[in-house]
Amino acid sequence: MAGSRAGIGLRSQHHREIIERRPAVGWLEAHSENYFAQGGPQRKALERIRESYALSLHGVGLSIGSTDPLDRAHLGELSRLIRDFEPMLVSEHLSWSSAGGRFLNDLLPLPYTEEALKHMVERVCEVQETLGRRILIENVSSYLQFSSSTLKEWEFIAALSRQSGCGVLLDVNNIYVSAMNHGFDPLTYLNAIPPESVQEIHLAGHTVNRVGSREIRIDTHGSQVCKPVWALYEYALQRFGQVPTLIEWDTDIPALDVLTAEAAKADRIAEAHRAVAA
Amino acid sequence: MLSLRELQLSFATAVLDGSCAAIGPWIRDEGLDPAARVDIYRNNLHEGFLKALALGFPVIQRLVGEDYFGQLGRLFLAEYPSRAGNLHHIGAPFAGFLREQFGATTYSYLPDIAELEWAYQECLIAPDAAPLDPTPLQTMPPERLADLRFDVHPACKLVSSEFPIVRIWRANQEDRDGTETIDLGQGGDFVLVRRNDESIELRRLPGADFALLRSIVRGGTLGDALQIASAVAADFNIATALRHFVGLGVLTCVHTN
Repeated sequence: MAGSRAGIGLRSQHHREIIERRPAVGWLEAHSENYFAQGGPQRKALERIRESYALSLHGVGLSIGSTDPLDRAHLGELSRLIRDFEPMLVSEHLSWSSAGGRFLNDLLPLPYTEEALKHMVERVCEVQETLGRRILIENVSSYLQFSSSTLKEWEFIAALSRQSGCGVLLDVNNIYVSAMNHGFDPLTYLNAIPPESVQEIHLAGHTVNRVGSREIRIDTHGSQVCKPVWALYEYALQRFGQVPTLIEWDTDIPALDVLTAEAAKADRIAEAHRAVAA
Repeated sequence: MLSLRELQLSFATAVLDGSCAAIGPWIRDEGLDPAARVDIYRNNLHEGFLKALALGFPVIQRLVGEDYFGQLGRLFLAEYPSRAGNLHHIGAPFAGFLREQFGATTYSYLPDIAELEWAYQECLIAPDAAPLDPTPLQTMPPERLADLRFDVHPACKLVSSEFPIVRIWRANQEDRDGTETIDLGQGGDFVLVRRNDESIELRRLPGADFALLRSIVRGGTLGDALQIASAVAADFNIATALRHFVGLGVLTCVHTN
């Protein structure tokens, strides 16, 4: 089955090499917006790659948590992409990126309030109805918390999944980054997520920055997965079982071999887990 | 209690306009003050924005240098914030912005280069279209030709400049060392930017051919276009020019009225 081996994020720098070498990874995940083109080389490459690999589409620009109206044109492009490429999974983020028509093109945190939950549930339902399929929502890294929050992020995302029917894309690195930044136990987070809701897991690297007297971890997706995140991944496998796992690497993109090596590492951990579980 | 709407507008104001007054009280301190936390998001935004801009305008970046490109990018972002979730679109007003900055200076070739680079980006993602089948044209009575209008392939863009922009563009590609001396006064370029199979081609056109095609793009009839082209070059041969454009797949569809 597609997804029993770890996948890697698809970047245009690797298109040619993937087409020519067909590395043995389980599947590929494309950022939806990178392939909104209706013709041209990017799109052609994706067509060729799709012939050999299962694909998931991961959106970064829908601004699903925004109180601005949903961008129908953006949703239309996503719809067309889904129709043309038949991805196994389609995902977006538990975040917002626009207000008053201005886009910040980043994954901004929501306040975890009943109002925001109701809004997210409505928006996710609207997107799922438009696309005619279930989507996954991914937790993001955050560098601040709003004082108006009355729910924990894990309560919020579990309720969102329950009320909208969306799946959860659990980014284990983001949980770790936010746990370190805000001082909570990442296991508390994992334990609060209903096992059946998790449809995909992301693994990535982050950086540790010093801001003033504080250490802040920033989700850069530009390095290897760190040790504590691998440990959390093992715990996630125990709790959520064999879930399609993806190695993300979006900045300072390395040689394809570095990515496939990370994916192989995830495979070895999953294999060891299966051996123990059996 | 701030509504979700108010919170998002205040946060955007803090990140884009630099004022944390409204959002600050709603951000937990946790050992780092709210303004410093907003700074993290502002830095992320700038970094992502500049990276996307540099991807679309590598020649401009090379011409002005990375540091100055960063300064220009921040000014540009302040005046033209992103209006879409897809970062590709941020480049659309960049040539116009550079024209405001450099229009009347000795760097007035920069906006033209930016226009060329934006045309390149647009051609990369434009839809495909089948080239025109010229057979019906060959059997058409000559008196009807003047009323024809054509659709131009979406992956074809026209850019003109009083400067040698194609030469500047080529001299500043990654594989060139950028030391070539170019005389800005050597004469301008009329450029057809088009997608050719999977790559983008910059093709210099004679002025009259360019004028013909621009008139067609703007919806003019072949008669109008011919008149404009003939004003540029008295000996303009429309049959040769049309054959050329049809052969390149520039024209896709003909309308007889």
